[in-house]
Amino acid sequence: MNYYKQVIAVTLWEYRRFFKLKNELLAIVIMLLIFTLSYFGGKYAASLASAKVHLAVLEDSDSQLIDMLSKAFDVEVIAPEHKEKYLEQIIDSNNRLLLMQDGEGFKLYARKKSGKLDELQHVLDGYNRIKTMRKIELSAENLALVLKPAPLEEVYSYERGSRGRTILAYFFAGLMILAVILSFAYQFTAITGEKQLKITEQIVSAIKPQVWMDGKILGITITGLSSMFIYSFIGILAGLLYFQFSDRPITDVTQYLHLPSILLYIPFTLMGIMLWNALLAAIAAVITDPNNSGKSSLMLLPVLFVGASFLVLNDPDTGLSVFLSWFPLTSATAMPVRWLVTDVVWWNLIASFAVLAGTFYWLRKLAAKIFRVSVLISGKEPTWAEVIKLTREA
Amino acid sequence: MPYKNVLQVKSLNKSFINIKAVDNISFSLEEGDIFAFLGPNGAGKTTTLRILLDIIKADSGSIRWGLNGKESLLPPADQIGYLPEERGLYLDVPIIRSLVYLASIRGMQPSQAKTTAMEWLEKLGLADRAKEKLQVLSKGNQQKIQFVAAILHKPAFAILDEPFSGLDPLNQEIFIDYIKELNQQGTTVLLSSHQMSLVEKIAKKLFLIDNGRELFNSTITDIYKSFGSQHILEIKFASQIPYDQLQRLGNTESISTEESQQVKLILRPGTALNEVLKKLAGIEGLTHIQSHNPNLHDIFINLVRMQKS
Repeated sequence: MNYYKQVIAVTLWEYRRFFKLKNELLAIVIMLLIFTLSYFGGKYAASLASAKVHLAVLEDSDSQLIDMLSKAFDVEVIAPEHKEKYLEQIIDSNNRLLLMQDGEGFKLYARKKSGKLDELQHVLDGYNRIKTMRKIELSAENLALVLKPAPLEEVYSYERGSRGRTILAYFFAGLMILAVILSFAYQFTAITGEKQLKITEQIVSAIKPQVWMDGKILGITITGLSSMFIYSFIGILAGLLYFQFSDRPITDVTQYLHLPSILLYIPFTLMGIMLWNALLAAIAAVITDPNNSGKSSLMLLPVLFVGASFLVLNDPDTGLSVFLSWFPLTSATAMPVRWLVTDVVWWNLIASFAVLAGTFYWLRKLAAKIFRVSVLISGKEPTWAEVIKLTREA
Repeated sequence: MPYKNVLQVKSLNKSFINIKAVDNISFSLEEGDIFAFLGPNGAGKTTTLRILLDIIKADSGSIRWGLNGKESLLPPADQIGYLPEERGLYLDVPIIRSLVYLASIRGMQPSQAKTTAMEWLEKLGLADRAKEKLQVLSKGNQQKIQFVAAILHKPAFAILDEPFSGLDPLNQEIFIDYIKELNQQGTTVLLSSHQMSLVEKIAKKLFLIDNGRELFNSTITDIYKSFGSQHILEIKFASQIPYDQLQRLGNTESISTEESQQVKLILRPGTALNEVLKKLAGIEGLTHIQSHNPNLHDIFINLVRMQKS
């Protein structure tokens, strides 16, 4: 039986073992339920928060202040002799405040601190500004002139890197993180689970460790991609429904779809996912007990590296950005992002992809080698030093 | 029709850090053999089998396969079935799917694998549970499924490492029948075990191994011819064992205490049994005496002792 037939057999096995459409749909239903609950719950909380708070001020307060406060609060003007009675009411009510003007400053009485006090501070800042302007005889027009920014006309010779394409960059990187995180759980179960169930010896007597590892990497990658496509498909459906029922034109989204960028992102994203799956497989091959292994935390590396590639967006032409766009653990996202926001010559794209693909090729070989030496180790988990030594000897 | 070697192993060696696991062993199997690899735990049996299957590499020595007329240095996976000592199967997957997958990675067409798997499940009385997950089966039934997984693709050569471990006596007998049937269908069987009384029932040839070294390598008939003519006496006493008097009997190769009042004497080859019995009759306190020829277990123990001495 040749290599390809065996890899396909293992790939299909892993895919069928882990990809369960029923579970995916259940996860989406739960996600929609959580989204619905948070949306309506948030709206309900906002409606409660928007209820106007009852604010009392004394009769001798500035009328302009009272006018300004009335826009945000339910203002009641009270006589000084009613102050004590009002203070007693405040003790039992979260919805009552008393503001007293005290010379240049203010004094506030409330039951406890709340979000409404920030709003009050904002109104008082505005009132103070107007009062100070009046004192130094500065008109509103003059203030606007003082605060006006210096006129600057921006003329770029290089016009790529629009907001739409930056969003596309985030979208693809997000999908990649999603696919890798989904794969992470499967990879763990697929490799450490098989070791724990003691199936590996039977498997490696039938197929080469490289076949086993390649099948796992491909199977888990396809599983992660399938989940990713389902989520994307549901997202697109939800988007279409949104535009159907809202007044916003669909071009609000289609403007982000830039075909050359998509064509560049697809191979980089696919290779990036496979590279991470190969690396995660190599780590999982060393782990004998996932519940007690310190190496399990290494499985979170992808998020760190993919996140780091976004540093490119700040300034795509620094040495760090150039490094990230070539370094295989970040280049899958960093190079396409650089291409979007700065000038990257075509051969850089090809060479960076070649380095990425080469690293994947080497990592899958390394993963198989690690698996070969660690498959028969049971009991104590080998240290990295032991793994390196055994791998060199193999 | 001349017999031909399907496996030839020469001067195999393997060491782990400070242990010599396999020490210069050689053996060969002919087509249709049931070859038993016997030895205690830690003797080097599993290491040898893993080397044969290219799971681990030997330090030196040569292995030559000759299955279905094709010579090769590496094991042809599609013609070999393997039941490892440390065995397991996918617990969370329907039984039939696991079986088809394991046969398909050894080169069997999935549709054919499914048909053959169902035939086996029918034979095991488990056909109606084919779609259930393995975890719901009893341990004995799980072992049967694991056996089927190892030989479903109708291999020309089956390696069974400790096939009887963990089985109750009834299931041990059932497994002996399975192995016999497999062999009758044309599969050469190499089985490794420490349960010598069971192996004796099916093996035609055997290789005794201890501390990685060969103790004996020939047919069952040969081992009994060489070491099976001695008499073994199991003797019980009413009170303490009179070791001095037993020593004075002469002609004894070994005296070993079985229980506090029971002793086992192995007589030297050619010793006349009636002479020894006459002398024993004069010893006071003797309550029970039984004579028999050595079984495989006795021969093995004796060979280990001889090698050490």
